[in-house]
Amino acid sequence: MSVRAARQFRALLVKDLRLELQTRETAVAMVLFAVAAMVIFQFAIGTRTDETTPFAGGILWATLALTAVLGVGRSYVPEREQGVLDGLLVAPVSRMTLLVSKAVAIASYMLAVEVVAVPLAGIFFVEGPFFADLGLLLVVCLLANAGIGILGALFGSMSLFSRARELVLPVLFLPSIVPVVIAAAGATHAIAGVSNDMAEYRGFCLFLGIYALVFGLVAYATYPYVFDD
Amino acid sequence: MTETSSGRRLAVIGTATAALTAVAVFGVFFVAPEDADQGIIQKIFYFHVSIAIASLVAFGVGCVAGIRYLRSREQRHDDVSVIAVGLGLLFSVLVLLTGSIWAKASWGTWWVWGDPRLVTFLIVILLYAAYFVLRSSVEGERQRRYSAIFAIAAFASVPLSFYSVRVAQSFVHPVVFTQGGANMPSSMVVWYVVSQVAAIGLFLTMLQLELIQRRAERRLRALKLQLERALA
Repeated sequence: MSVRAARQFRALLVKDLRLELQTRETAVAMVLFAVAAMVIFQFAIGTRTDETTPFAGGILWATLALTAVLGVGRSYVPEREQGVLDGLLVAPVSRMTLLVSKAVAIASYMLAVEVVAVPLAGIFFVEGPFFADLGLLLVVCLLANAGIGILGALFGSMSLFSRARELVLPVLFLPSIVPVVIAAAGATHAIAGVSNDMAEYRGFCLFLGIYALVFGLVAYATYPYVFDD
Repeated sequence: MTETSSGRRLAVIGTATAALTAVAVFGVFFVAPEDADQGIIQKIFYFHVSIAIASLVAFGVGCVAGIRYLRSREQRHDDVSVIAVGLGLLFSVLVLLTGSIWAKASWGTWWVWGDPRLVTFLIVILLYAAYFVLRSSVEGERQRRYSAIFAIAAFASVPLSFYSVRVAQSFVHPVVFTQGGANMPSSMVVWYVVSQVAAIGLFLTMLQLELIQRRAERRLRALKLQLERALA
């Protein structure tokens, strides 16, 4: 990445994060949504079993996947409603810089939610010792967020120009991130509670890394065509 | 490409596919040996795996046609992509149906969530169903462009679905084809190969048929427009 592209990337990322810091609309709504979803999961699953630890990873990542849909949709509101996109498209900024900055912004929103949702999931659903190593869980979050951010940036941009975009985005996005949910839930489960299966954890983390890499390449190859008119 | 050559190609592929399908059905039911463990239900393997591979071929064709569309912006590549994805989706639904029948007979249940391969095939179906939702919600040239982008992205998830099987280390689904070769006698492999070629032939025939129909519809619309203008 050239110095100019790095500067543009920083400016675009700061634009997204500063807008969020000023309004605090997206992150607060995402956190509230995540907490509400976990409470719903508790009443749907937790009240029917005494042992919720095996479900903790699944509940956490199902919640985060649904929250991601909300975050991706919200992250494109300024582009859509305040004419930001028109300005960006006529500016001498490469499409890749647009993609990377939006992907990092979405991943940052997710990280903000995870700071609240992960400990809460531990308190709500894990019995006995809390997640064996929060550092290991941070790696899972970062790898999963990379995949979610890349796909969110790609599909979020495409949904900008579609009719009924509120419906199109979840339909495109959710099936695409199911492998992320499977792997992230598996990795979380491997280190939750008393279990500490590092071989399984590494396998799922490797999958998350490959997933982010593959979709990073796909987005790199296809994103310039999203705004090609 | 002229319509005559398209028609001739359809006739050749269609005839070969019909012959191969007849041979495959005969071979599978009357020549191939019956599986010692599973009995007659194992016969569904020849169709289940063949259409599974054919569906992946269809999604691959959809992806390649999508790439060619993005590079050339030619309508014919979009036609091939959308038809291939549609046929791949149809074949995938058949894969789940035949897989469910096999699962019921082998494991006593219609669906096994513990097997990531079955589950990821379901995900692939959901993904490609989303392709048509996207297509119907965008218009004009952007519709073809976004469809091509999505066909490429969705196809990238196909190898990931197989990789997830290795990561999750589930052995519920019988693994017939391993790195060491096929876990079945050569008398079964032969009929599997015939079934496989027939399934891919079926895909190519339906693709060609649909392409000819689309071109004919487009030509008819153009003629109708010309006629309306002439009469006006």
